[in-house]
Amino acid sequence: MPKVKRSRKPPPEGWELIEPTLDELDAKMREAETDPHEGKRKVEALWPIFRLHHQRSRYIYDLFYRRKAISRELYDYCLKENIADKNLIAKWKKQGYENLCCLRCIQARDTNFGTNCICRVPKSKLEAGKIVECIHCGCRGCSG
Amino acid sequence: MATAKGANTYNRQNWEDSEFPILCQTCLGDNPYLRMMKEKYGKECKICARPFTVFRWCPGARMRFKKTEVCQTCSKIKNVCQTCLLDLEYGLPVQVRDAALKIQDNMPKSDVNKEYYQQNMEKEMSINEGVNPAGALGKAMAPSDMLLKLARTTPYYKRNRPHICSFWVKGECKRGEECPYRHDKPTDPDDPLADQNIKDRFYGMNDPVADKLMNRYSSMPKLDPPEDRSISTLYVGGLGEKIGEKELKDYFYQFGEIRSINVVSKQQCAFVQFTSRSSAETAAEKSFNKLILNGRRLNIKWGKSQGQQGQDKEEDKEDEKNLEPVPGLPGALPQPPEELSNNFFNLGGAPPMHHPMHHMRHPMPPRGPPHMMPMFIRGPPPPGVRLPPPPPGMMPLRPPPGVMPRGQVPQMHYPSQDPNRMGASSQQNG
Repeated sequence: MPKVKRSRKPPPEGWELIEPTLDELDAKMREAETDPHEGKRKVEALWPIFRLHHQRSRYIYDLFYRRKAISRELYDYCLKENIADKNLIAKWKKQGYENLCCLRCIQARDTNFGTNCICRVPKSKLEAGKIVECIHCGCRGCSG
Repeated sequence: MATAKGANTYNRQNWEDSEFPILCQTCLGDNPYLRMMKEKYGKECKICARPFTVFRWCPGARMRFKKTEVCQTCSKIKNVCQTCLLDLEYGLPVQVRDAALKIQDNMPKSDVNKEYYQQNMEKEMSINEGVNPAGALGKAMAPSDMLLKLARTTPYYKRNRPHICSFWVKGECKRGEECPYRHDKPTDPDDPLADQNIKDRFYGMNDPVADKLMNRYSSMPKLDPPEDRSISTLYVGGLGEKIGEKELKDYFYQFGEIRSINVVSKQQCAFVQFTSRSSAETAAEKSFNKLILNGRRLNIKWGKSQGQQGQDKEEDKEDEKNLEPVPGLPGALPQPPEELSNNFFNLGGAPPMHHPMHHMRHPMPPRGPPHMMPMFIRGPPPPGVRLPPPPPGMMPLRPPPGVMPRGQVPQMHYPSQDPNRMGASSQQNG
């Protein structure tokens, strides 16, 4: 089924240019949602979801802020329809958080000692050669 | 029973609450900056099954997170770390420590008995507020030689390593580099150390690690007293140049009266002979593999019987010290005639010290111990005079005129006679 629209108004111009990409991403997301959990860790099963979510938001963000390829109207439309995550994009505008993987990794309330996730540690500060995959989203380092 | 609601809450086994865990140094890890999580009533104690405050921390980089396994009451009863269940002082399993201290702690292990015991212990401890462990251990605290030898001196962080990655053992570990578990060969299931049980380890029964340690201890070098009851001489080896008769005398006199000390500097050894066999045994026990003088560990062994000793030292008679009479003792007997003086080893003729001894070549064995007794009685003043121990500090150094054999300056026979030593009453009324 095609994605259900939240507003009754038709999407603004430029929508047809981005629609195919968004459809692909939606398809991938559906695939990730229906994937069986065999052979994966419990947390690992959720990683593709976060990754695709990040990817989708990134696409819209890049189009508007970096490449300036869509109008503000279209951008706002995407945010309203929850195609892109507005909270995540809000973080990307801050210095140091430009490549933030997901919002869970900076949530201090979720951790035992009130810290950020391990993926937020810059690679220079992390002892050399240590591979980390954070448990929330499988990120390998989003700030270093 | 612990959670039964009822009228008698006064007799209920309470859930445990604590502020800080009881842990050993190895479990805490090497990092002085430690972040620990506390969870009230997080888990059941593995021994008494009561909910207790669980503490969880990371003992260092690449270590697994450790948490307290048994409650504080249980750990205080046995004086063990809450996580590793090893003794807090020595780091040894409960079984080894109890065997060394000869404690037979009969803690009840089952059901209501156990809960009752726990309850009473907890009450006692809350009243006592003492640092000493409750129960049998509190009463027997003499430090044991065996424990000191077996105990670890440095922390052993290999205990804190992560567990073996079971996926890797099967060849299926997909995590690869970032896998926090150990990619090592798993322990051999045939190894007796592989089946350990927390209850066994805690109560001190059937502990394979303890068995291994005790086997190792019994195969450690030990010095047995020789069967020949007359031997009261210790061989002291590894002297070096610095250690001489004086140092040996200063050390060994604490075990008992020294009959003689013979230093063989050529072979870096000495023979210390005691007057009584028991003092020799005490000295051997306390010094074997333990004595360190001037930074060198001395090799202590039993010497041979008197006669044989004399034969061995034929070439070294120059060094044999004849015993001078102890100066300053009351009632010193007059010197015996020359042919009898200082003749412990039944050697023919004992000329004064500064003359080289040439006569000691007689075959010794047949005239061993049996001849000691007459020698002893007729012997020169030192043995006879030494029997009443000289009162420390009371050293009137009045050399009786006829006694000092060669008119020499009174020599220090005991360290306590040294007037410069602390406690000696100093006078030189000559």
